[in-house]
Amino acid sequence: MRLWIVAAFSLLLSACGTSVQRVAPDESIDLSGAWNDTDSRLVAEEMISDALARPWLGDYTSRNGTRPAVIVGSVRNLSHEHINVKTFVADMERSLINSGRVDFVASRDERGEIRDERIDQDLNAREGTRNAAGQELGADFMLQGQINTIIDAEGKQQVRYYQVDLTLISMADNRKVWVGQKKIKKLVKNPKIRF
Amino acid sequence: MLLGCKAVVGCLCLLLLNGCAAWKLKDLAAQMPASGPITTLERLQQIEPPQRDRAQYLLNTGLLKLYTGDFSGSQQDLQQAKQIMEALAATSVSENLAAFTTNETLRSYSGSPTDRVLVHVTLALAYLLGGDLQAARVEALQLDVTMRQFPADKTIGHLASARFVAGLIYELAGERDDALISYRLAYNILKERQEPVPEALQSALLNLTHSQRGFEREYNGYRSEFNRDATVPGRTEAEWLLIYFDGVVSQRTETRLTIFAGEANTVVTVVIPGYHDSGRTPHPLQWQAPGSSGTTAIIENIERRVRQDLDAESGALVATATARAVAKYHMVRNAREQSELAGAFANIFSVLSEQADLRSWNLLPAYIQVARLQAPAESPLTLPLKSFTDDAGKFQRPANMRVLFTSSYTPAVFGYPQTLDTNATDEITERP
Repeated sequence: MRLWIVAAFSLLLSACGTSVQRVAPDESIDLSGAWNDTDSRLVAEEMISDALARPWLGDYTSRNGTRPAVIVGSVRNLSHEHINVKTFVADMERSLINSGRVDFVASRDERGEIRDERIDQDLNAREGTRNAAGQELGADFMLQGQINTIIDAEGKQQVRYYQVDLTLISMADNRKVWVGQKKIKKLVKNPKIRF
Repeated sequence: MLLGCKAVVGCLCLLLLNGCAAWKLKDLAAQMPASGPITTLERLQQIEPPQRDRAQYLLNTGLLKLYTGDFSGSQQDLQQAKQIMEALAATSVSENLAAFTTNETLRSYSGSPTDRVLVHVTLALAYLLGGDLQAARVEALQLDVTMRQFPADKTIGHLASARFVAGLIYELAGERDDALISYRLAYNILKERQEPVPEALQSALLNLTHSQRGFEREYNGYRSEFNRDATVPGRTEAEWLLIYFDGVVSQRTETRLTIFAGEANTVVTVVIPGYHDSGRTPHPLQWQAPGSSGTTAIIENIERRVRQDLDAESGALVATATARAVAKYHMVRNAREQSELAGAFANIFSVLSEQADLRSWNLLPAYIQVARLQAPAESPLTLPLKSFTDDAGKFQRPANMRVLFTSSYTPAVFGYPQTLDTNATDEITERP
């Protein structure tokens, strides 16, 4: 009898412990229904591949004979969730750079640090190894966007609708050369009963 | 038999310890006017609450961190509290069983309707004062989702202050149509409750309907109701929005009720939470600007809200407490039939385990007050405990508005955008 009690307690205690399981970073795991790493990665990949398949890229390359330089501007989070937009922007940058079809220039924040380093090089680096100021590659296009949501909730159920809008704007004349849109809709059912 | 006695004594000790954290929090809230937010936070951080009271604990620390200017700490604590409360929305089988057999304090603290809305309001302020308008806007959207889950035909969970803060955030973000909708909702809530519309909300409604096309009829309605015109700030004027958390809300107390339980054909005594008449009066914050002066006005009477929340659940609380008392009555009678000693212990357990759930968001202000005023951008605005000025050039379009936040217990004034002098962090011990 005592053995059974000990076994039951052990079972209960084992259920209370923390468990850690390693999973592949690209594995899709939905816990709360909120925007997660999978949404960020899939939206970035799909939208960038759409952007690269559109005529603006071929038009620019045939007209100038070079790859366009792109910079990611602001992506505003206008959604109902605290979304880490930086991971989304990083996913887009990775997709753009890995495509090999566009050049990519550093963002405003990153440039500041690089310029500081260049100034430091001017003072401290050997002459042959210094990088001169005024040689930066200017961006031809800026990618801007926003994430919007519509939430419809009733009782323990929620419909979460995400719409990501990205726009590629020509720096030369403010022309919008590509507008991309990706929609995600999730039905989230929260439990009515817990232990 | 000895083992049984030890078990009962152990259970009782555990129950008494569980009640300790709730009492300590009540004491800290009562001492807050004398000790101030920094000392209260230090004392609070020495308490190790049971896991089921974690949300309550984090709500209190989050609010105190807002008062002391630790905005990122406040955001972290309140976000955690919010997530815990959301996760606890499902009905727990084990906690219901524990509440039915022992007492209500064995349930996890999932917050009252007012808590669940005010956590968004406090978070929005923490983000705003931390300089992150976009994150504050997220909270404004979330509070809308939260409030829409409460029945629209009742006022429980519908807070005018929450709608007002949301309107303010939209206005700061340049989204004037959303701002007007939120201000209208705040107005509707106050009308539904037959509470006065503070001048700050009057100004917001008048100004937004006056400065946009297509709202002439609505504007005229407000103008005749409030007996004043819109006062849109001129080019050289700045608009100030004061948000003032006044006092500390009343604490729950135990109320004993004697009820005839027909099922057991006996009279049982149950304890349920209640509120004493606080006799607390609001203390408006005075402001002065060149050529004008005034005070803040109440937009949320939290003293009333917490009582309404409790009244709304009192029926269920009394029913559960009565059923529990009957169950304990049978338990004691059965134990007595076995032996006198067992009966005595069962009786002690029955009496001592009966505790009212006194948990609440203890440190909430008693009143949320607001003021909206216009003053020359270059002129100093004076508050009772702190005076500060700002450079005219720092007032930025599109909102051209400065939000100031302060509470009764600290002279620190926090502002958005963050270009104000907010160095003073000395605490005061009592309001003048």
